[in-house]
Amino acid sequence: MSRPETALAPDEDAYLSLSGLTKRFGGVQALAGAKLLVRKGEIHGLVGQNGAGKSTMIKILAGLVQADAGQIHIGGRDLADARPRDVEAAGIHFIHQERMLVPDFTVAEALFLGHEVRLGPFLARRRMQASAQALMQRYFGRVLPGNRLIAELSTGEQQIVQIVRALLQEPQVLVLDEPTAALVRAEIDHLFEALNRLRAGGMTVVYISHYLSEIEALCDRVTVLRNGQTVATVDPRHTSSREIASLMVARDLNEMFPARVASKGRPVLSARALGDGRNFQDVTFTLHAGEVLGLTGLQGSGAKELLRSLFGLDRITSGEVSIEDRPFRARSPREAAAQGVAFVPEDRRHQGAILEMSIAANMTLANLARFSWRGLLRPRLEREVATRMISELAIKAEGPDAVVASLSGGNQQKVVLAKWLTRAAPLYILDEPTLGVDVAAKIEIYELVQRLARDGAAILVLSNDLDELVGITHRILVMYRGRTASSIPAATTSPAALLDVILTGQSEIAHVVH
Amino acid sequence: MTNLILRHGITVVTVLAFAFFGWNAQGFLSVPNLASVLVNNVALLAIAAFAMTLVVRTGGIDLSIGTAIDMAGLAFVAALRVNLGVTIAVLAGLAAAAATGGFNALLITRLKISPFLATLGTLFIGHSLQQLLADGGNPIYVTAASLPPAFQFLGHGLILGVHLRIWLVVILALAMALLLSRSSFGRRLTASGMQVNVAWYSGLPVDRDIALVYVLAGVICGIAGVLLTAGVSVYVPFAGNAFLLNAIGATFIGTTLSRSHVANVQGTLLGVILISVAANGLLLIGWNFYWQQLATGMVIFLALAFTFGGRRLAGGTP
Repeated sequence: MSRPETALAPDEDAYLSLSGLTKRFGGVQALAGAKLLVRKGEIHGLVGQNGAGKSTMIKILAGLVQADAGQIHIGGRDLADARPRDVEAAGIHFIHQERMLVPDFTVAEALFLGHEVRLGPFLARRRMQASAQALMQRYFGRVLPGNRLIAELSTGEQQIVQIVRALLQEPQVLVLDEPTAALVRAEIDHLFEALNRLRAGGMTVVYISHYLSEIEALCDRVTVLRNGQTVATVDPRHTSSREIASLMVARDLNEMFPARVASKGRPVLSARALGDGRNFQDVTFTLHAGEVLGLTGLQGSGAKELLRSLFGLDRITSGEVSIEDRPFRARSPREAAAQGVAFVPEDRRHQGAILEMSIAANMTLANLARFSWRGLLRPRLEREVATRMISELAIKAEGPDAVVASLSGGNQQKVVLAKWLTRAAPLYILDEPTLGVDVAAKIEIYELVQRLARDGAAILVLSNDLDELVGITHRILVMYRGRTASSIPAATTSPAALLDVILTGQSEIAHVVH
Repeated sequence: MTNLILRHGITVVTVLAFAFFGWNAQGFLSVPNLASVLVNNVALLAIAAFAMTLVVRTGGIDLSIGTAIDMAGLAFVAALRVNLGVTIAVLAGLAAAAATGGFNALLITRLKISPFLATLGTLFIGHSLQQLLADGGNPIYVTAASLPPAFQFLGHGLILGVHLRIWLVVILALAMALLLSRSSFGRRLTASGMQVNVAWYSGLPVDRDIALVYVLAGVICGIAGVLLTAGVSVYVPFAGNAFLLNAIGATFIGTTLSRSHVANVQGTLLGVILISVAANGLLLIGWNFYWQQLATGMVIFLALAFTFGGRRLAGGTP
């Protein structure tokens, strides 16, 4: 694939420039010489996978985080060691992902918090109101009454308040971090209209988003980050979102993935027209014994919620699920586990393992009935099984009595997996099974997944690591805005093609198979 | 070696307390004095503290153990006064205490109120209830006509020359130790106390277990309430609340004995002994009664500082 490395960005016409940015957090190199060059009056997109360095870059620009090295200039002014107040004084304003508004304030109070207009010792309420209303009318074509409470507004309206609040300071540059994550379609259209009007008025905008379709519709240029470095700055009118997606993923896959199990057995999990009334709807799929099914989607796509509902953590409100031909219904993990579901949660420290407890105690937690007799624990059986698991899964530990806190992340994750292995469940649900795990342990976890599949288990893996999905699953279910966008055979796809589907909700080759 | 001593900081402090009072307080180490400390100071506090230990093990706290003790005493006396017999009266006492615990369980597991606030509410409600039922908070005496031998036995009985209260403490301690460290139920409680989400994600019946713990804690307090009332032949409103702070103190002193800082029976028992001995010893030295709580506070600081400060010195995690 050709690299559309751009030649259309000579440095001299950059109004806002960040260059050579380097930042290390402990053992993680968040930024390694990244640059971002933004021209005056353009809407500049910033994209990259999770962990590519987008948010670190924005935090450095905002003065919230100090870069290890690098330069920041705006209109020729040096902002390298600036604090948040200096950055604001230089005219750069941020609309953050989290709504930074006090819910109990009125619209008027929220708009002028910290920047009250005064007439002598008194607040100039009328004047504040008038200027806020004028801005809302001009950019959003509507007016929010000043006496409404923030808590009463929709997410989109809260966003308007945030933007107007920034506009009142007459900024030079507006930075929006994932502004549409919680918005509905109509609100997104309103936001785009407002941003276009702002651009027409000479405003410079930096727009961070996961949604490449938005970038395509809105931005004049896009900068792509990968592994803390700037890969390219491109013009989305000349570069397709698929090409942008391929710039975002690393393609140097080594031999990390063990061979997949070939045979596919009887159906284990079948879901028909599932919905939870909020996050996902009309999800239909079947998962067979010996099959590894991937599940992925952006935040808010409903993938996470779908996974949780299959373990009784969230409610299913419509549709049917059956496990091994028996109707499945669970209001708690306990009920789900009793019906044959094993679940490895994403948050190892708070949901997966009890760090202060021994390895043996953790491994038996999901199956205490087997390890007790008339209510009393059987410590010898417990240690025996734990010792066997430790050697089978190659867990590096002193022994079954060692506390889980003393293990590395990868070995902790193996303990969490082992907890469910004693139950021999027909269905395993793994939520980000290799998050925060080193490469060696990753490979061992992949091997374990294949072994489970070979032994006839059905496995559902939610992951945002696209290499992993393509490498270990048979099929990948992509969720987009609450619906299954596509079901892609892993053998026929690539991480870049997959990302394209995740970001746009459309697959170029129509192989939608249920 | 250093670690072993540090972990047993509370044991060291207890031994030091015995040595100090044995040296300075006339008659402290005499058999009658120590026996009296055991029966009058240690026994009931230990039972109340066991209830607290159970609850703290699940990561909660019970501010209403005094209320459960009082409700048991009140129901016990009320049943005796209408001549229902000692057996029924004991059962009525235990049932009243269980109901107090059940009310907590309802608030905590159904209404999802934090244990601190739920049991604080129960404490207040119990206070009003006693004032209403006991005529503005007056003591209710057990009348002479209703004092059968069984009642005497509950208050002052001996088995093989050892006071009934001591037997009950020993039996409860053994049962609790078995429950907490050897039973499946105890493992589940410990897991919930350490990291309730993991327990939930592991499919454990977290709410059911925790509800049971508060009821069980109520019943254990009920035993203390019946023994207390039988010992003095009178129900005194709010008498149970005297145990609350000492039981919390003893339980948390006791957590220092555990490597993972969980509440445990052995530690709680040591904490109870330490607090009781300090109170008795200071009294014998002739210190003013008003100094006692200050001394208890100092003992708590000393035991905690010894353990946690020492651990930091030894390079372990605090």
